[in-house]
Amino acid sequence: MNAGLHLLWVFGVLSVLGFGGGKGIIPQMHAQAVTQYHWVTSTQFTQFYTIGKLVPGPTTIFAALIGYSAIPGAPLLGALLATVGMFVPSSAIMVAFDALWEKFRASPWRLIVSHGLAPAIVGLVWASVYTIGRGTSIGLRSTDGLIAIGVCALVALATLRTKLSAPLLIALSGVVGLAFLRQ
Amino acid sequence: MSASGAAPTRSSSTPTLFQIAATFAGISSTAFGGGQKASIRHQVTSHGWMDSDEFMDGLEIAQVLPGPNILNLAIYCGQRVRGIPGAISAFLGASIPPFAIILIAGALYFKFAANPYVHGALRGCAVGALGLTIGNALELSWDERDDWLKLVLIAVVALVVARFRMPLLLVLAIFGGAGIVREYVKAARKKRGVP
Repeated sequence: MNAGLHLLWVFGVLSVLGFGGGKGIIPQMHAQAVTQYHWVTSTQFTQFYTIGKLVPGPTTIFAALIGYSAIPGAPLLGALLATVGMFVPSSAIMVAFDALWEKFRASPWRLIVSHGLAPAIVGLVWASVYTIGRGTSIGLRSTDGLIAIGVCALVALATLRTKLSAPLLIALSGVVGLAFLRQ
Repeated sequence: MSASGAAPTRSSSTPTLFQIAATFAGISSTAFGGGQKASIRHQVTSHGWMDSDEFMDGLEIAQVLPGPNILNLAIYCGQRVRGIPGAISAFLGASIPPFAIILIAGALYFKFAANPYVHGALRGCAVGALGLTIGNALELSWDERDDWLKLVLIAVVALVVARFRMPLLLVLAIFGGAGIVREYVKAARKKRGVP
């Protein structure tokens, strides 16, 4: 039952610290789920993150897949506990904040806090690039690496310059993978 | 809608708890990313649950507070129209379908991930997700370009987290705190009219 409590705690902390829509929590989630608790491998972590981006709803729903792998013999319980941990605490804060909103609304702190936290969160997103990149388990100095760099650059460019949706870009990358990255 | 204004009665536009849950279930199971915000906005304003200003307020809080923006926004809307039961309905509606969908995706993953073709496709998808994350990081960094100190903060955070695994709480306390001080000083200067 310990694993269940660990799931609730790990994801509950990430939930409360998930400022900026949860974009910045990926490195800590990896550190705990992969390095500390060995619930999933680094490759699985990256693939679960990918699935989280591929399906509708918040990306952080992929916590469910980590939970699924965490409790041997009770995957559904693990998935449920991880998801509850990931979503309930931040939601409770959102509900509780309603009472404070009228005060906060006119306060200059509103913009100071949201703009002030932004650089830390953007830095965390760059750190997630490192975390997710290592989990692709593709060496940079190989043919696969060259293909991966090309796909990565094209997708990044498409994100910046076109309105193509995230799932479509991931699916197209999957087609390239199917053709060239089978090993 | 009553025209009196002083005591707004919402009888004609107040949704049932089931309608709230169904609305957000529909959006969360079909829409992605930014499209979800537009869908929610359309739903709540076209059905008279709230006006556009009230929606924009909600969007802002949803983005400031921790948690997925879409889920927070759904909770805000549910709470505005039906109080805490409305918030709970919105939470369940917005989270159960993605949970069910990711479980199905996970079941397929565990069944087929070892297949070489699926394996290749998954590797490609992971590279695509990495490209998306890089695109997001570039876009977010570009938004901070007017302040050199913020660009330095971004680089230092990326380094201490990726290389030295600084815990999230410390990152937010130290570097989030530094960013907040920077913003505070800027706001104070602006107030005094110093450029």
